[in-house]
Amino acid sequence: MNNLLVLPFLLPVLTAVICCLFVGRPGVGRRVFIAISATVQCALAFYLAVRAFHEPPLVLLMGGWAPPLGVVLVVDGLAAIMLCLSTVVALACILFSYAEIPVWAEQPLRLPLMQLLVAGINLSFLTGDLFNLFVAFEIMLVASYALLTLEANDRHIKEAFPYLAVNMFGSALFLVAAGLAYSVFGTLNLADISRRAEAMQGDFGVMVVAVLLVVVFGIKAGVFPLYYWLPNSYPILPFSLGAFYSGMLTKVGIYVLLRTFGTVFPHNLTPLYTALAWLAGLTMVLAVLGAVSRNFIRGILSFHIVSQIGYMILAIGFFTPLAIAACIFYVIHHIIVKSSLFLIGGTAMFYNRTDNLARMGGLLKASPILATCFILQAFSLAGVPPLSGFWGKYAIILVGLQEHRYWLVVAALVASVLTLVSMLKIWMGAFWQKLPADGTADPEAPAAARTMTAIVCALTLISLAIGFGAEFFFGIAQTAATSLLDPAQYREAVFSLTGKGGQ
Amino acid sequence: MKATTDSFLVRALIGLVFLLVNIVSVYLLLRGHNLPGGGFIGGLMTGMSFILLGLVRGWEELQRELPVPPLRLASFGLLLAMITGTAPMLFGRQFLTQYQLHLDYVPLIGEVHIGTPLLFDVGVFLLVSCITVKLVIVLARSTSGLPAFTPGEVPYYASELEGPIEETANEEDRHAN
Repeated sequence: MNNLLVLPFLLPVLTAVICCLFVGRPGVGRRVFIAISATVQCALAFYLAVRAFHEPPLVLLMGGWAPPLGVVLVVDGLAAIMLCLSTVVALACILFSYAEIPVWAEQPLRLPLMQLLVAGINLSFLTGDLFNLFVAFEIMLVASYALLTLEANDRHIKEAFPYLAVNMFGSALFLVAAGLAYSVFGTLNLADISRRAEAMQGDFGVMVVAVLLVVVFGIKAGVFPLYYWLPNSYPILPFSLGAFYSGMLTKVGIYVLLRTFGTVFPHNLTPLYTALAWLAGLTMVLAVLGAVSRNFIRGILSFHIVSQIGYMILAIGFFTPLAIAACIFYVIHHIIVKSSLFLIGGTAMFYNRTDNLARMGGLLKASPILATCFILQAFSLAGVPPLSGFWGKYAIILVGLQEHRYWLVVAALVASVLTLVSMLKIWMGAFWQKLPADGTADPEAPAAARTMTAIVCALTLISLAIGFGAEFFFGIAQTAATSLLDPAQYREAVFSLTGKGGQ
Repeated sequence: MKATTDSFLVRALIGLVFLLVNIVSVYLLLRGHNLPGGGFIGGLMTGMSFILLGLVRGWEELQRELPVPPLRLASFGLLLAMITGTAPMLFGRQFLTQYQLHLDYVPLIGEVHIGTPLLFDVGVFLLVSCITVKLVIVLARSTSGLPAFTPGEVPYYASELEGPIEETANEEDRHAN
């Protein structure tokens, strides 16, 4: 019995409830409590990861009901990796937000909502049931709607509207898809769907459900025709929340795509893979052009999220074991790098009182450590060897060459170069150039900025470790990919347990 | 704010309607384990009954008469549901494991079948009904020209830095492109 599996969901919910019920006002005690809770969640995720990599997938039957009837939680390699990433990024962002805002000015609902967001994200990694996945998405999205507009002014709320509208549309479509899946397969348990889908290969219904789910998860991940909601809504968030959103939310879409293609559906949906690969090519090139066109840090970074999503989707589109491993490695690299870049932007804004590049400057002199972190992470995002981004891109492009998809390889390379260009734009604007006459700067670095820089440094170190320890991390990604692409092992783990109402 | 309707009949009847709707909603809550119904639907019905009450008597009066802040009660409901789910874990059973009690004969009622899922459902009931009430009160207050939160609530919902949203509308935007 693995009751521990429910804790990555339960702990954040309990933390949020306790905050709402007993400590309604922000204070130092509450901050310490939430930080401890986030640390415990982090430790738990790593413990689960160690177990998941040494044992077959861990399964919990909720309420003791046997699989096709009851809801199951499953942790395999990929889910464990994602849990670790989400809890680490959440911890970093929570600590950063402590430095970002003084206690008296903190929004009382911000941290409880953030915990609910973490709970929704974790549940969507844990669950082994399609409808439960919908519930997890809803918890995550409702919390994210609230957080997005919590500290926004009128103008910002207008930017948040597309986010709300597109995601509500996506949720409605997801519900339709889940209903259709139930009518086609007669079950919503992912392992059971995988068993039945294998038996009805070539059936039109399987394809329809798969296409619907791809559209839904494509919306969540921000793939080409459906990414409109993302790049304008993320910049309205404060940096600490923006870092968490940019790191985790779209990657939930990627995780679910990997899960459905790898474990749930039979591996012969070739037209769908091809379509995904081409959409991915368009996504990365068009979004990176958007990034080049922006002139404030949050805007540039938000477009980059979409562009980077393109690489992961491209890897899924190639759909070879190496490509899936590359995708998982890319997710590991991307979440850390992207969040830390957002946090670097937040620290830079703390120095300059703005993140508009035209009015920033002088940060290289003001904080050389921050500048070093930024240049490392920016090169890593662009894919300069030997940093972490290089290995992911290298593997994806290698697969592209093996599969003779040369145009897509060209698109990936062009997007990389343009990524570097837009990153250098931030470098020139914020770090290299002198402070313009109408800019403001905090002459002395307050204690808060030191804390922020320390958090950013920690994330940069993790990222460097991923780059230099690429062999180890790629090994992990390959193990996760192997077990992801082996539905038999997943089914075996789920159905080997007996519970009430078993067949 | 004055009541939104001055009809004597409506005001006289609203108490009765409120009672009837809540009897049905509690009935739905109790039968929910084995039959259509449950905490969610019951909670929505109770929420609706409060909307009726607010429409007739006015939102400020309704808010004054609520014995507990709705969001606290909603959090309590969520906590109750979570505890019902977690308690079996202490005895080494799976999360959400349920325990039933079947009584063949209870005076006046007859056969009774209750279990821990009922507690869970009560938690959901509190959560849903209170969230509905809170949402509708905030919306109704802002559409009738009142500030969304009473002065006593503001510290629990807003940061010290925030002003009412209308006042920041003309502020120059940092990121105007």
